[in-house]
Amino acid sequence: MTPSLPAPRRRSFLTLTGVGAAAFAVGTGHSDAAENAGGAVPSDPFTLGVASGDPRPDGFVLWTRLAPRPLDPDGHGGMPRRPCTVRYEVAEDAAFTKVVRRGQALATPELAHSVHPEVTGLRPGREYFYRFRAGTEVSPAGRTRTAPDPRSRPASLRLATASCAAWYHAHFTAFEHLAKEDLDLVVFLGDYVYEYGITSKNMLRGGVPLPGPEHAVETVTLEQWRLRYSLFKTDPNLQAAHAAAPWIVTSDDHEVQNNHADAWSETGIPPSDFLRRRAVAYRAFYENLPVRRAVLPHGPDITLYNRLRWGRLAQIDMLDNRQYRDGFPAGVVEDDSPERHDPRRSILGARQERWLYDGLSRSDAVWNLMGTGVVMAEIDRDTGPGHLYSNDMWDGFPANRDRLWAALKRHRVANPVALSGDIHHHVAAELKSDWKDPGSPAIGTELVCTSIGSDGDGADTDKYADLWLGNPHVKFYNGRRGYVSCTLTPSELTSEFKTVPYVSRPGAPVTTAARFVTEAGRPGLNREV
Amino acid sequence: MEPVARRRALGLAAAAAPALAAAPAAFGAAPAEAAAGGAPRPARRLRTAAEIGRIRLTWEGEAYAPLVDHYAIHASRTRGFTPGPGNLIAKTVYASFSHSGMGGRRQDWHYRLVTVDAAGNRSRPSAETAGHSAESVTASGRPLATVGAFDHKSLELALAPAGYAQYKTRFAGGVDYTHGESDPSADWSYIQPGPADAWNDRKATRATFRFPLDAVPAGETWLAIWLIDTHASNPGSVVLALNGAPVREVELENGATRGSLEGDATVPGSALVPSYVELRLPASALKTGENVLTIDKRTGSWHAYDALGVFAR
Repeated sequence: MTPSLPAPRRRSFLTLTGVGAAAFAVGTGHSDAAENAGGAVPSDPFTLGVASGDPRPDGFVLWTRLAPRPLDPDGHGGMPRRPCTVRYEVAEDAAFTKVVRRGQALATPELAHSVHPEVTGLRPGREYFYRFRAGTEVSPAGRTRTAPDPRSRPASLRLATASCAAWYHAHFTAFEHLAKEDLDLVVFLGDYVYEYGITSKNMLRGGVPLPGPEHAVETVTLEQWRLRYSLFKTDPNLQAAHAAAPWIVTSDDHEVQNNHADAWSETGIPPSDFLRRRAVAYRAFYENLPVRRAVLPHGPDITLYNRLRWGRLAQIDMLDNRQYRDGFPAGVVEDDSPERHDPRRSILGARQERWLYDGLSRSDAVWNLMGTGVVMAEIDRDTGPGHLYSNDMWDGFPANRDRLWAALKRHRVANPVALSGDIHHHVAAELKSDWKDPGSPAIGTELVCTSIGSDGDGADTDKYADLWLGNPHVKFYNGRRGYVSCTLTPSELTSEFKTVPYVSRPGAPVTTAARFVTEAGRPGLNREV
Repeated sequence: MEPVARRRALGLAAAAAPALAAAPAAFGAAPAEAAAGGAPRPARRLRTAAEIGRIRLTWEGEAYAPLVDHYAIHASRTRGFTPGPGNLIAKTVYASFSHSGMGGRRQDWHYRLVTVDAAGNRSRPSAETAGHSAESVTASGRPLATVGAFDHKSLELALAPAGYAQYKTRFAGGVDYTHGESDPSADWSYIQPGPADAWNDRKATRATFRFPLDAVPAGETWLAIWLIDTHASNPGSVVLALNGAPVREVELENGATRGSLEGDATVPGSALVPSYVELRLPASALKTGENVLTIDKRTGSWHAYDALGVFAR
């Protein structure tokens, strides 16, 4: 436990936040008339940890959620049904001797007592530390950082990509190792939680009691979603990964339902009902992740796509490939139907496509990263003479991919790199200008991270290896759990595919299963390990 | 379709506008319900519809302003009941619910809903509404020939509950079952695959049910097919024929894609979604002696049987 947070004086608050007393807002960290709302706070309210996200040159968003009894079935975490003031402070040092910002936010039951204070006015390209206080309780400290000055050319960016963290399938050993890396940024690519009921049939996390019956059903209601996030976020390794670096996040399908497309549900839930489910699922997503208030859902709609710049070294476009996508072309997940090639089909939706192409056209970054939940490269899944594609991935939207390729060429976008997840295997692939011609030049690179936990222990190779490696532009495949660790410099991107040999019990060591270098100006993958 | 237009098309109230539309930007993260406070309004226009084995409830209620955490559905066999933990049968965020697992006999129920919002506020209970399930021919009719028990379980059938992978070898030519001679546990597969199923080489399949009649019944003759589950997104249809004469093509309901692995829908919390097909067979197609009912699966994925039978009514 960190030392007690000294009670800030009112004058220091106003000085440090730079806003008037009337401008404090619910859950945001801005000032509010009720500085000490809520009375006593139950003991040990920081059971879900702390987090930061969306680093900008002058600040970031902080996050915590008060939950003294995180697994209370009603999803409210054991908090009383009244607002509660949460204070935070940001320091330049881990000992909090140089506090540069203090503020407060109002944690309300409407948002499951989560707070998302946005801190501004900080120096660019710098490490910071933060912590919260509610009543007399002080949170663990987190480490974060601001993005570099947008005009600067940073020497490096250290980031890790991760996805698919099925708590019930694994110990989060991969997060444990990720947290120990000296990262500037964590890029989470979807499936932070899963909707499935947790029963003895899918409980692969060894040595852990099966959660109660309230966890054994598919998540539909808000209280169930809140409880699901609470269960996953009680994991200390996930908390450590959040506390170690700022995150940027997008969702894939399991934050709502497997394979969903906009308001379409594979289980036949009518769209009018499915949107209600999406609304509560997105509300819980917002409540449990370090995202800004602009992400707060409006009914069933959430604005997740987001652009981050790391000086002139990297631009990262986080994409939402679920909320605006067209449905399965012929009603099935895998096929090679003519409908798949309908030029009107989009995985991003028209508005997000325009936003992406416009942002790419303006980019002066050395590296242009696109975070997308599902695989972007074409993958023919028929290992014989036929052709079969997953319409759940970008393969279901070849016209959208062609438009993106055209935009990359039209705007001479430097060094495109797709960061994706979803498939529970590590894959490294070249993005080809012509998928039918293995000799055609690569226009970019794709780094697909395996799951943090989904599908249990896995193996280096498995029954899917031939399928993936049968596509000549796929250069690497591994079926273990892990993450991808990247170092970007002005001249090269080094990607290390990290794996752990088991996750059914804790304590596995981490291994670099493969290391690739992608040279700036030369798309593709040069294997070193 | 843009979000607002889509919501209107679906008949949903507009989503809570961002609070910053009516307040200074600094207050922008406050959901509308935070400012509104108080208890949510109860659900309105609660209606019931009778179906075999279940009662389908629908209602109207706010979705987003305030954001509804869930509707707590309370049910009782007694009129004028008070909602409480003892009669809470389900929670859902949807504006509909299927109270299922009632079996073939008609059941009468009374319902009231409590709306719970994101802050945990609870509405007063809705007005009470009565409903009943429809009587199945399996309860009202006289069985002439059946396979399996109509009990929301597939367990007594061949390959159940999870042996679907053996269908390809055990039932390569499809199921061919003769009432009075065949054994359900060996000769009637719990699962019938469709052309969407790679595990059966994407083939269309047929199940044949042969049953004798001493005489064509004077009254109505009904077919009952109870399923414990179907594929969630692609259940397909079944084409029914009797003695070579087409009867009907029936679109199957979406299930949960669990009946290929689990065989007991009566287990508390079971994810299985039972469904029911009951229809009158044309008397002109029946004959004295052996009758042959065929069930062809030419579209979609598998369905999993609970039981099948022919009844006089």
